[in-house]
Amino acid sequence: MNTAEATTWYFKKAARIMDVGERIETLLLSPLREITLQVSIELDNGEIRTFPGYRVQHDNSRGPMKGGVRYHPALDIDEARGLASLMTWKTAVVNVPFGGAKGGIAVEPSRLSGKELERLTRKFVDQTQDILGPTRDVPGPDMNTNPQVMAWIMDQYSKYHGHSPAVVTGKPLDLYGSKGRDAATGRGLVFICKQILGDINLPLKGTRFAVQGFGNVGSRAVRLLHEEGAVLVAVADSNGGVKNPRGIDVPALFEHAKKNGGLQGFDGGSPCTGDEVLTADCDVLLPAAIGGTLTRANAAHVRAKIVLEGANGPCTPEADEIFEKKGVLVVPDILANAGGVTVSYFEWVQNLQHVTWEEERVNAELEKAMKDAYERVAQISRNRKLPLRTAAYCLAIGRVGKATVLRGI
Amino acid sequence: MSNATELVQKLSQLPICRGLTQGEAGVLFEIAEETTAPKDAKLFTEGDPGNTLLIILEGQVEVTKQGQSLAKVGQGSVLGEMSLLGAGGTRSATATALTDLKLLRVQAARFQKLVHDDNLAALKIVANLAQVMSRRLLMMDEKLIELLDEKSKKKQELADFQRILSDWSF
Repeated sequence: MNTAEATTWYFKKAARIMDVGERIETLLLSPLREITLQVSIELDNGEIRTFPGYRVQHDNSRGPMKGGVRYHPALDIDEARGLASLMTWKTAVVNVPFGGAKGGIAVEPSRLSGKELERLTRKFVDQTQDILGPTRDVPGPDMNTNPQVMAWIMDQYSKYHGHSPAVVTGKPLDLYGSKGRDAATGRGLVFICKQILGDINLPLKGTRFAVQGFGNVGSRAVRLLHEEGAVLVAVADSNGGVKNPRGIDVPALFEHAKKNGGLQGFDGGSPCTGDEVLTADCDVLLPAAIGGTLTRANAAHVRAKIVLEGANGPCTPEADEIFEKKGVLVVPDILANAGGVTVSYFEWVQNLQHVTWEEERVNAELEKAMKDAYERVAQISRNRKLPLRTAAYCLAIGRVGKATVLRGI
Repeated sequence: MSNATELVQKLSQLPICRGLTQGEAGVLFEIAEETTAPKDAKLFTEGDPGNTLLIILEGQVEVTKQGQSLAKVGQGSVLGEMSLLGAGGTRSATATALTDLKLLRVQAARFQKLVHDDNLAALKIVANLAQVMSRRLLMMDEKLIELLDEKSKKKQELADFQRILSDWSF
């Protein structure tokens, strides 16, 4: 089951517990609109290539639809549909006034030159600009897209509609981006981590944690957790990593990664793979690589008390069930990694108002949003005796449902 | 005036005369009077006292209630059969001639007298009427349930969802 399918599965689990009925389920799950495009460009060598492009707009009952644009060869309409709905639930859980969307192009961007990537991006905007917009659908970065791609999207859209920085988020800081956006997902994870540790009376200082993945999310979380006094005992990226039960020297680790472009070969402990990180002896496990890494095969061997989903969909539903039985607390992706979309919302707000917030303000507002979201989810979990994920989906269904009913079907 | 034997034969074929011998149908014919009505004539109006039964021998009649057309009926159809049961009520609908009509009219009082005298023909007709009525009642019940169901279903789904949302106090 991929992340998109798992999202539908989790949604249905919550919807059945709430007993909303089949027709309400269909109403909430069905996308508002989905489009398939053929995006054609001329390569640098004069060859013409055509790539399939997608945009699924899932729900706009709570606001303009929000979701990433990814460039990945495996992207298809089913994947986009599932991830668009994931965005609807995520924005609802953190209570930012957005709906959900997702899309992108089925392409391997590493095979394209910078100029080709720019042409492809601009062509994609040409073909979607009539359904995008600051009050319609606001894209953001996703797999293999970055602030530069967002800048091209803003520029191309503005050619049609006039100066429109709020049409896209995750832009470069020098082009209407928000301070604190880069670190937002990692920082959000740390806020949630503090909250849940507090609930089981553990201080963050001295807590042993393991991280799978050392990209934007994983590396930011490692740095911030280390600053709070937590002890990193295992970490790996796709090429390898290190474990050390007495604690890894985090500043030295960053230095090594900077110098070598990865974690492999760091000598501050014994070598370990990404899979071994998942079963390391620790208090908090942070899977922040790709989806589907915690499965029926390895979930029983996880030794952490808490799993914080930094990636989207790292736990398969089978793993999720094993954790529930074992009493491992799983903080679901739609709550744990929602810091990114929350600061995207702040970026959109700043763009609409033509103001710039200081980083302190961004971080303070982020902390409040994450704490509030965690509190509401934890409250539902306690009152209804539900795992955090189901509680989060229930909250999302509640918020989206209320908006849908109030606006009228 | 039509041939009496022919009329008795026609009468015995009406649903309310099912099971009657020609002789027994003759009894009904004896208390009936032949009459005509021109096109557009009102045979009776909703709310009028109902004291006669009408049997259409020729032509077409429209039955309406509150301006809504309920049915168009023709030769062999019977109007106002409820009055035979002596319910003493009023007409539940209006009957208008769509064409020139030939009719048989039966005074309810005369029929009820036959019932009172245990006339076999009259009792058979009452039994037939009871069957016709119960079939109609059954159809009405089904229609009513259908309507109620449809209405309640439409309202229930959103209302249920709203109730769930407020129960969960989101």
